[in-house]
Amino acid sequence: MSELDAALTVFAQEAEELLTDMEDALLSLESKPDDSETINSLFRAMHTIKGSSGLFGFNAIVGFTHEAESVLDKVRNGERGIDAELISVLLNSKDHTAKLIEHCLTQKDAALPASLAADGERLIRQLTGRQTTDMQQSDDSAQLEIEGGGEISVDDNWLISLEFQKDAFRNGMDPLSFIRYLRTLGEIKQILTVASEMPAGDDMDPESCYLHFKIAFQSDANKQTIEAVFDFASDDCDIKILPPNSKLEEYVNLLNAQDDNHVNRLGDMLVQVGALTQNDVNHALQSQQANIDSEQAVPGKPLGEILVEQHVVQQPLVDQALKKQEQTKQKLASEANYIRVDATKLGHLINLVGELVISSAAMTLIVEKHGLSDAGDVAASMNALVSSIRDTALELRMVQIGETFSRFKRVVRDVSKELNKDIELYISGGETELDKTVVEKINDPLTHLIRNALDHGIESPAQRLAAGKPAQGTVQLNAYHESGHIVIQIADDGVGLNSEKILNKALANGLIKPDHDLSQQEIYNLIFAAGLSTKDQATNLSGRGVGMDVVKKNIEALRGSVEIDSIEGEGTTISIRLPLTLAIIDGFMVGTGHDRYIIPLSMVDECIEMNANECEIDDIQHYINLRGQVLPYLRLGDYFHNQIADSNRKRESVVVVKSGQTKAGFVVDELHGEHQTVIKPLGKVFERLNGITGATVLGDGNVALILDVQGLIQAAIKNKSRPAPFLTSQRIQ
Amino acid sequence: MSNLIRRETGHAVAVQEQVGQYLTFLVGTESFAVSILDVKEIIEIANVTRVPLTPDYIHGVINLRGSVVPVIDLSARLSRHCSEVSKRSCIVLVAVETGEGSQLIGMLVDEVREILEIPPANIQPAPDFGTDIRTDFIQAMARVDDVFIILLAISRVLSLDELSLLSDLAQSQDHLLANAD
Repeated sequence: MSELDAALTVFAQEAEELLTDMEDALLSLESKPDDSETINSLFRAMHTIKGSSGLFGFNAIVGFTHEAESVLDKVRNGERGIDAELISVLLNSKDHTAKLIEHCLTQKDAALPASLAADGERLIRQLTGRQTTDMQQSDDSAQLEIEGGGEISVDDNWLISLEFQKDAFRNGMDPLSFIRYLRTLGEIKQILTVASEMPAGDDMDPESCYLHFKIAFQSDANKQTIEAVFDFASDDCDIKILPPNSKLEEYVNLLNAQDDNHVNRLGDMLVQVGALTQNDVNHALQSQQANIDSEQAVPGKPLGEILVEQHVVQQPLVDQALKKQEQTKQKLASEANYIRVDATKLGHLINLVGELVISSAAMTLIVEKHGLSDAGDVAASMNALVSSIRDTALELRMVQIGETFSRFKRVVRDVSKELNKDIELYISGGETELDKTVVEKINDPLTHLIRNALDHGIESPAQRLAAGKPAQGTVQLNAYHESGHIVIQIADDGVGLNSEKILNKALANGLIKPDHDLSQQEIYNLIFAAGLSTKDQATNLSGRGVGMDVVKKNIEALRGSVEIDSIEGEGTTISIRLPLTLAIIDGFMVGTGHDRYIIPLSMVDECIEMNANECEIDDIQHYINLRGQVLPYLRLGDYFHNQIADSNRKRESVVVVKSGQTKAGFVVDELHGEHQTVIKPLGKVFERLNGITGATVLGDGNVALILDVQGLIQAAIKNKSRPAPFLTSQRIQ
Repeated sequence: MSNLIRRETGHAVAVQEQVGQYLTFLVGTESFAVSILDVKEIIEIANVTRVPLTPDYIHGVINLRGSVVPVIDLSARLSRHCSEVSKRSCIVLVAVETGEGSQLIGMLVDEVREILEIPPANIQPAPDFGTDIRTDFIQAMARVDDVFIILLAISRVLSLDELSLLSDLAQSQDHLLANAD
């Protein structure tokens, strides 16, 4: 890969991130349109993309982003209001930019396809269309009110306020001479004399100076130079110099261009760009100090606020500087905390750690076999280290699910517009972490489920109002951790599932037989059946079922499970349970006969002895009494190999496992204890095998199978324990 | 899939134009052969872990240098009795193409014999009937010293689609049994 290619990869990545940020920002603007921070981030996104595209000579991108950038700049400066329409256009512009980038990256030299170019032009027209009228308004707002009488236009002028003290004349200061000297630097556009302190007739002392001046001054000189004019008077005069609005932009740009490599103090930043002079800052600092001294209880005002109060700098500039300061801090923090790593390298590392775990288990085994007590200590401490290395390595791949969630904001927005529904998406638990490989694979099923909720779950506003619900529907996305799993919930407050209709459809399709006695939960689960997913039936069934079998299959491929809970007329909640990682788990090893099996430790509730008194054995019904609760169980050996029950069994144990709300027991011969389990796929041959999800290599080189607790529990309930049907439907009230 | 096709045409070329090398082995007392190009490795039979709820022809899984590899009992797969594992039993590892790449599968055979060079002239198409194994499992018949050896069509015998499907069937049968009692 040449250097340019590498740079292009970085460009593509960066652009993608920026565009994602931009979309987030636009969506959040819908709810709070005045957030200047967000508007700025929009501007920056377009600006950065424009800049980097220019670097590579992607003129098409530069041309388009330039237009978007100018519009955003106007919005940023308050010259143009932001409304839903503009947000829509900007969202489309974002998509268009993405397309342009893709085009430029894939076919570098080819001309822009006509459709893309036409799209661009249309968007530019939409972007710039209403600009002129908005400009008019902005001119009005640029007038600055000045206390003490009169208004001074500050558009392109410096605003200088001179408050001479009474002793000025006595100290040999003549205000007029300063003002005259000022004219050598530029043009005085307007001068306002404030005489509010002038006492009446007799009280006036002709030797005192009562006059204050406000001067609108046009000049190319910088602030330092202007301030130097009044250098001599600084002891006898309060001088405030406010830079012109036109300069503001320059300052803002300068601020943005400031070095990112260290965090400056606010004052220093403003002095550096020339918006303030050192004097201004000293002055403000003094008054800040004075404030603190005088009102000890109240914390001193921030420097920025004081500077604005003293009229030496405009509010937007301070805001910008503060923001820049914050950004720099963040950037420094993130630079210090993150390293971009190739995912394949990480995958390789995790594989190696997996092998390390296996060989460390092998070593422990050998140490035990030979009874090397002194080596045992070393082995034990190495085992502890290996397991923490394993945990750390797996954490490397953990990412927050929030980013995946926030993508759905756009889906919800677009789909609800398309369907003419008013739907709000609420997201919670975005900080929940799970393995990146899982995140990638969960995206499609989630999209499908959310689309389903939007399309078929939530009713139209009219229907909702008729049903006594608020017109706006809600969809909630939630994620949380639960016993070694992550649970993702998609809840809508729509029509819910109609179990009768599902039953009828399933009967008509021959999926179930009339004499089947199904729990509510089992009926809901029917919507995942492949046979229930043709379109015709979908509409009758309020649509659910289209491709739901695929969703279920995808989730099960991740060793996860789906549960549906619904109240007709009030909504549906779909819960997806997924393992946190696909690579290594903490397992619990058990044995039946010569076979050894691993149960994921997170699913093991407790182990009890089968022969203990409190367990009433009922061999025919296959359930035991666990402290007053009915616990269906499965003899693993019998179930797996159809062995005839041995009448004189040895001591047996019951491993109580739980999955979601259901509990069941596995009866085994031996308990081998905890085992760090590196999951090896079983491959395509066994992909339809129920009850086993994978395999692992034990320390002695043998293979042990990992049990699919969920599947086995279902088998236990289905096969053996009709007496305990409530176990399946605890969640349904 | 395209790989698969390429492989098969490759065989055809080998069959027609040059002397092909074939690995012969015994299943029960019968001789079979597969093209040497299909064979990755021959290993001694080691600890095999049984996989529950699978039909007889799934012998189990083994640990091959850290990866878990399924082993097919060839005798059972060819509708005979399950193999009795003896000292001479071996696992012949072959690579089977899947949609996402190739997967190693082991074939449990009773004894590995030798590698034979069989000229194309001695190879004949499979008869339509007259053998007791499924005709689609037979790629061709090879005549060696006046004895016919069946050349197995590995892609059919170890068809992943079929293997996974049948293990599914066996399982539902299991459940039916369980339900019945």
